Amino acid sequence: MYLIGEFREQESIVRAIQRLKETGVTAAEMDVFSNEPVEFHRGILDRPSRMSLVAVLGAIANGCLVTGFVYYAQHNYRLNTGGMPVFSLWGTGVITYEMTMLGAILATFLWFLWESGLLRKRDKSVPVPVVPPGSMCLRVRTEQTGSVAEIMERSGALGVERKAEL
Amino acid sequence: MATPSELLPYSKIREDLFRPLSGASPAYIASALGALAVIILGGVAWSIQIRDGMGVTGLQRPVFWGFYIVDFVFWIGISHAGTLISAILRLTDAGWRKPVTRAAEAITVFCLMIGGMFPIIHLGRSWLFYWLIPYPNSRLLWPNFRSPLLWDLTAIMTYVTGSVIYLYLPMIPDMAQLGQVSKGWRGMLYRTLSLGWTGSDREWHALERAMKLMACTILPVAVSVHTVVAWDFAMAIAPMWHSTIFGPYFVVGAIFSGIAALLLVMGTLRKALHLELYLTNHHFNNLSKLLLLMSLLWFYFTFAEHLTVWYGNEPSEMAVFRTRVTGAFAPYFWFMVVCNFVVPFVLMGVRRLRNITTAMISSVCVLMGMWLERYIIVVPTLSNPRLPAAAAGFYGPTWIELAITAATFAAMILLYLLFAKLFPIIAVWEFKPHPAEDE
Repeated sequence: MYLIGEFREQESIVRAIQRLKETGVTAAEMDVFSNEPVEFHRGILDRPSRMSLVAVLGAIANGCLVTGFVYYAQHNYRLNTGGMPVFSLWGTGVITYEMTMLGAILATFLWFLWESGLLRKRDKSVPVPVVPPGSMCLRVRTEQTGSVAEIMERSGALGVERKAEL
Repeated sequence: MATPSELLPYSKIREDLFRPLSGASPAYIASALGALAVIILGGVAWSIQIRDGMGVTGLQRPVFWGFYIVDFVFWIGISHAGTLISAILRLTDAGWRKPVTRAAEAITVFCLMIGGMFPIIHLGRSWLFYWLIPYPNSRLLWPNFRSPLLWDLTAIMTYVTGSVIYLYLPMIPDMAQLGQVSKGWRGMLYRTLSLGWTGSDREWHALERAMKLMACTILPVAVSVHTVVAWDFAMAIAPMWHSTIFGPYFVVGAIFSGIAALLLVMGTLRKALHLELYLTNHHFNNLSKLLLLMSLLWFYFTFAEHLTVWYGNEPSEMAVFRTRVTGAFAPYFWFMVVCNFVVPFVLMGVRRLRNITTAMISSVCVLMGMWLERYIIVVPTLSNPRLPAAAAGFYGPTWIELAITAATFAAMILLYLLFAKLFPIIAVWEFKPHPAEDE
């Protein structure tokens, strides 16, 4: 069962989240929907992310891959370099740098798609609220509908809707 | 301080910013058709060049780089308008950036698309451009990874990829909103591009994190792209090209011309789409100050570059210097100085003269000046080569180069017209709803 509460004020939704967490509802069971980003203080509804780490790993991976490829290609067909090294990090540093950055960019984008859930197949049984402009909706997955609805209303929800899994 | 648009009801913001997407005025259609006609003319010119060879252009020994390379550097330079400026404003959390960023990011993507065409046009045998890409082939050849041409390819490819993603990411929430209210092919397009965005806090968190990371990543990429373009010149031991400051000099010039292009686009959009409430004096004033700052920096670099050459008095360098400052290219050179320094210094520096109209005038001057700057860099050096055996030569463009150059400006206009008709030119979601708004 899902409960969807509509809120106008950010303070109200923060109050509702804090009270729900006190009663044992976890952050994973709550989602806030809005037409614009809502910023919560740390500890309210944290969403840990590994995006920075993934971006760095993507950069390193692509940089190494491309440098390895350039090394292979330059040894595979040796140009006459007049006694200079066949492969030189200085000579091909621009390519290594650009491809390292490309790795970071692509990793960030792909991880954004994954972390936001846009890339994954959406669970169509979960109801998604239509948020009126200027409002925020708090969706809670719970079996204790009565007490959760009461907390949301007491915290300032304009209305609370009960929705079963589709 | 809240700008007037931030005090508007959210419903009014949505209505104002989504309105330009529907319908097309006669002026819009005429502009689009006009631009299309010029693009077709450019296409005809290019096809003649492909059929008859590079002999139809004005390129001849010793000047083998002309309008195409000038245009390439010019468009890549303007591309710094968007992603770089937007990333700086995002990272510094400048509140006034909101109505500016998307217009700027779109400029970057279109300019890169246009600028990236020029090396291919300049190749002559354009259909063989894919030889630049390292792929296993029957002749067992690989591209030369030490060649600045390949550096350009990788740098521009990285910048295009990053810029497209950087433009696309903040458009997702707007497209989700548009998908709810649009029908037919538009509705399908918006729903597809919004990837099923629901507006959950997980999505917003991921988006904000991604935008911050992208801003951090794209800044050094943007700087590197124009530095690499500068190294196309600086790596050659040609007079007045072989300079250690060419990288930063080009980056400064690129940001300078980018801000000018952004001001011009913003002024045009403000008038054409009636966005006076969103693109206010405040935005133009801030960007005008940036333009002034970049004008001063540009002048400093130009002065430093020419002073050291003059003081060094090296014969081959002085030949180019004299051609530029007092010789055949002097009218272009001094016109460039007037356009890039005198006009913005007076119009943007004097507070009483600084307004939207003068910002537009300065921007047009700067764009002309920066195009001329690239011409002044490319042609006089090649006309006066260092090698004593190579005779000095003259370069004048033919109608082919002029038509292709005109077509790229028309392509920029057409791409922007189409973009403004398909997507909101200002990010709607970045405006927070007014707390006291009544539905």
